[in-house]
Amino acid sequence: MTRSRVPLFTTVAVLVFFYLPVLVLVVNSFNASRFSAGWEGFTLDWYRKLWDAREIWHALRNTLIVATVATTVSTVLGTTAAFALHRYTDRLQQLHYLLIYTPLVIPEILMGMSLLLFFVAINFELGLTTIILSHVTFSMSYVTMTVLGRLQDFDWSLIEAAQDLGADWWTTVRRVLLPLLAPGIAAGALLAFTLSIDDFVITFFVAGPGSTTLPVRIYSMIKHGQPPLINALSTLLLVVTFVTVWLSQRLMGDTR
Amino acid sequence: MTFTRRAILPALALAALACALAGCSKPQPVLHVYTWADYIKPELIKQFEAETGARVVIDTFDSNEAMYAKIKAGAAGYDVITPSSYMVSIMNKEGLLQPLDHARLPNLKNVDPEYLAIALDPKLNHSVPYMLTNTGIAYLKSKVPDFEPSWAAFDRADLGRRVTMLNDMRETIGAALKFLGYSLNTTNDQELEQARDVVIRWKKNLAKFENEQYKSGLASGEFVMVHGYSGDIVQVQGENEDIAFAAPREGTSVSCDDFVVPKSAKEVALAHAFVNFLHDPKNAAANSEFIGYLCPNSASYPLLPEDFRSNPAVFLDPAVKAKSEVILDLGDDNVKYTRTWDQIKAAD
Repeated sequence: MTRSRVPLFTTVAVLVFFYLPVLVLVVNSFNASRFSAGWEGFTLDWYRKLWDAREIWHALRNTLIVATVATTVSTVLGTTAAFALHRYTDRLQQLHYLLIYTPLVIPEILMGMSLLLFFVAINFELGLTTIILSHVTFSMSYVTMTVLGRLQDFDWSLIEAAQDLGADWWTTVRRVLLPLLAPGIAAGALLAFTLSIDDFVITFFVAGPGSTTLPVRIYSMIKHGQPPLINALSTLLLVVTFVTVWLSQRLMGDTR
Repeated sequence: MTFTRRAILPALALAALACALAGCSKPQPVLHVYTWADYIKPELIKQFEAETGARVVIDTFDSNEAMYAKIKAGAAGYDVITPSSYMVSIMNKEGLLQPLDHARLPNLKNVDPEYLAIALDPKLNHSVPYMLTNTGIAYLKSKVPDFEPSWAAFDRADLGRRVTMLNDMRETIGAALKFLGYSLNTTNDQELEQARDVVIRWKKNLAKFENEQYKSGLASGEFVMVHGYSGDIVQVQGENEDIAFAAPREGTSVSCDDFVVPKSAKEVALAHAFVNFLHDPKNAAANSEFIGYLCPNSASYPLLPEDFRSNPAVFLDPAVKAKSEVILDLGDDNVKYTRTWDQIKAAD
């Protein structure tokens, strides 16, 4: 019996499709050609220019602040919401489920515009706060759904066992519930972080003076600016991502 | 337990980093500029900050329409915005702009009168022109023999369809209208029908209608002739010396991004100072050179480098300029162009 080559071929094709564009981007970040029309020689110019581009660093700073705060808040709210939705199934929770589910399917442009009109109506100054509130609004739903999935096959007898053994409610949550739910919570948090870090449409509308985030900035640069700076910035972000993933894998490997 | 701790630590580290970066805010006046990316020379911003003691914060938008939707909905706090002229007219009609105080803008005396003759706000009541660009034809000198500066160039079938026109209904239908000797803001149905037939004829010689890729395509030689924006062409010329630009003799479209001060601005005096600063001849010249567009400031022209001044992509020939027009927002008549464009796109 010969083994099928289809899985190998598919894997290679997927990896090529995924990493080849990234590779082109990294190569072009060292390309002296401004329009990446062809190879015009090796240069570090784009990195030098990036270093001096204070608006880009300001935008990156805004993005990180928003993503960190929005992820933290939406993870806490999303997890508790999932818990409530799973534990109770009365009418109120059905409505709750509907309301949590809706942001997943609402077109972004509609959400962005309505949030902007709302903030303007209540005279709330636009800025990082409004971006964070908006990001929590949509990413919370994703966290809830992810944690809810983890709860589907949760064995509640473990909670009862812990309480039988004399643990109070808080200890049970801390020592039994949360560790068991952790993979779901972590996945939800990562999802929230990713969504927040690259959201453009909603952010564009609810951003105020001085709170331009990286995606908003990059969209404007594509239309009107220096694309190679984006290549250089993306390459740096990739390096950070790879190093983080590598480090976390090493850390996990150590404790395994 | 160990897992949660691992998940929390990076989050805390990130939060600490964010706080460290967020620190340092001094009580000083802040000017909020809402503009396109890389649209003001960074050194000039530093100089303005040094001269006034104010801090300049720049936010960016990527389309006039998105910016308009936001300001119209009530987003406040921007002191200077740089929309395109047609959008300035719309914003002004909607009452979103402040009248400008000319007493605070002495450098307005430098604004090019030739441009003002075709400008939408020639008295500079609510806007000051910032950067001027025009469309035209760019081509590879070695690949396009006997080039004539006319829209008729798109009738040439000998270029092997390595030709693009802009994927912009107003620009491309406008080119055909100019070719026929009509205004590119016409609402006359017969003129539009004739223009439609011209574009459909041209389409047979085109690779595609293209707004972005034509720049790298021309630089790499994939395309030999393109319909494009002069500012983009100036940037590509830096990469390929074979590229030449021509403004068709029948006239072309001129577009300008203008400074405006919205009604909701907080630092009105500082906004005026900023506009005046960028119309100082020396600063205007430095900015034009940085962006590759032209700041219509007559006193700055002699300060520009010679090769920049002699580049037809930057300076329109006066005879061509006189025949050129600014694309206007046609309100309800815009639909005529949409319909014509749909017919062009559907044609074989």
